[in-house]
Amino acid sequence: MSSSSRTNRELFINGILNENPIFRLALSMCPAVGISTTVMNGILLGIAVLFVQVFSSCTISLIRNHIHPRIRIPTYTLTIATWVTVIDLVLAAFFPTAYKSLGIFVRLIVVFCFITCRLDVFAARNRLFPSCIDALGMGCGFLLGMVVVGGVRELLGMGTLLGYNILGFRPMFFFALPAAGFFTIGFMTAAFNHMETVYNRKKSTSRGSAASGAGL
Amino acid sequence: MKEIVKIIIGLTISCLFAGVVLGGVYVITAKAKKHNQYLDVQQTMTKLLGYDKVVPPDLRFNHIHRYIIENGDCTCLGYMLPVKREGDEGCALLVIDLQGRLAGRYKIDIQPEKALNEQDRKQALEKALDGEIVTYADTAVIATLGGRRTAYLLAGKFPGFKGFIHVMPALDSGFRILGLEILEHSEDPGLGGEIEQVYFKNQFKGRDLDHLKYLKVIKQPLSKEYKIYLEAKKPEEIYSNADLAEIEKKYQNSDIHALTGATISSRAVTRGIKNIVKKFIYRIRILDRVISENKIPATF
Repeated sequence: MSSSSRTNRELFINGILNENPIFRLALSMCPAVGISTTVMNGILLGIAVLFVQVFSSCTISLIRNHIHPRIRIPTYTLTIATWVTVIDLVLAAFFPTAYKSLGIFVRLIVVFCFITCRLDVFAARNRLFPSCIDALGMGCGFLLGMVVVGGVRELLGMGTLLGYNILGFRPMFFFALPAAGFFTIGFMTAAFNHMETVYNRKKSTSRGSAASGAGL
Repeated sequence: MKEIVKIIIGLTISCLFAGVVLGGVYVITAKAKKHNQYLDVQQTMTKLLGYDKVVPPDLRFNHIHRYIIENGDCTCLGYMLPVKREGDEGCALLVIDLQGRLAGRYKIDIQPEKALNEQDRKQALEKALDGEIVTYADTAVIATLGGRRTAYLLAGKFPGFKGFIHVMPALDSGFRILGLEILEHSEDPGLGGEIEQVYFKNQFKGRDLDHLKYLKVIKQPLSKEYKIYLEAKKPEEIYSNADLAEIEKKYQNSDIHALTGATISSRAVTRGIKNIVKKFIYRIRILDRVISENKIPATF
């Protein structure tokens, strides 16, 4: 997994499609399922995660040569926790309106395992710039996943999108409750996988060679 | 052995560094954060009183902090309230026993504004009292407009369907409910979470103590005209005076309509509000009597 073999654009797209944290890596499912009841919640949590991921990745990438391999996980946790607290404090002090809606989400982020995963898999082995791009891609991938899941759940559960009444009734109210998050994410993952198989099949028939774009 | 030393040093340095960063950020942001929280509470309170943008300059919030004081074998209530002193304002603690008599009166050396901070308040209290166990209970606010009481703002929490629901009901000077704000809750979105909706909160408006005592929750859908009336920001602009009077007359004695699919949350809020308001009125009457009997120079 060295950065030289991939361009920045590929790195960024990788986080959104091939290694989408929700649909492909299936990491950080618990907060994702719990929070994604509306599109707005998804967007807010996504933005908060994006910030923390980028800052933590940059930090770890900068100090990667000084981390003793045996204590790397505690170091990651410490880094994430520090950034989460810093962002929480700064938002509360200087952006009170944003803090009102973002505040509870920011504090949740310490337990997001895909941030730790990205720090270990990517930031600890790559230079600053690629790490930053990777973090941006991952954050956007998570944001996208949350928005899609939130959209499906909000539309089916409440009949609204972003708070605007779209359907005028509640088709399946059950989708607003936590359990439905699992169904939604499960179906979404299946759809993602299906899209990938179709895409690969097309590619292999048109080029005559297989397995060029699969997974990693 | 060498490795463990390296690990220890590495971890210590990273923790120290993180600590320094956090400490620095905290120092920079602490003041602004506190100020924001203060503004937030102020805004909620002025909004409840019906002042949306323009706040009259002589509007003043008098905070009354209630404590439970345990002194040997007797339990008393302590009310810490702002009082006038020569050219200045300070605080006083009135200790009232369970029979409603004044059992003690202490001068607390703290400014009313500073007493908003729980820690400062506690320190000042401990300095004035000695040895008694003091437990903080709650804070109520008496809003005065140019020295005359206009409203009471209460605070309280009660268990909802999932977690505690924190509310702030407002009463006018005749103990009629002026409004209700849900500050914090963890009910299900779409079900119990609907207690935040204006049409639910406004059903409590205008209820007085006699009515509150018998207030029930009924499982009937809101009629359309009542819902429009409840959701209207300024009902007097939509309706003519005659229509308005008719609607108010028609619904003033109706019970609280439960939210669809959230009867438990609706009941919890109704019961909670009833409790908070009833207890507050009972206490404030005793406190008022004590204040007037003993000629305490309270600021409200």
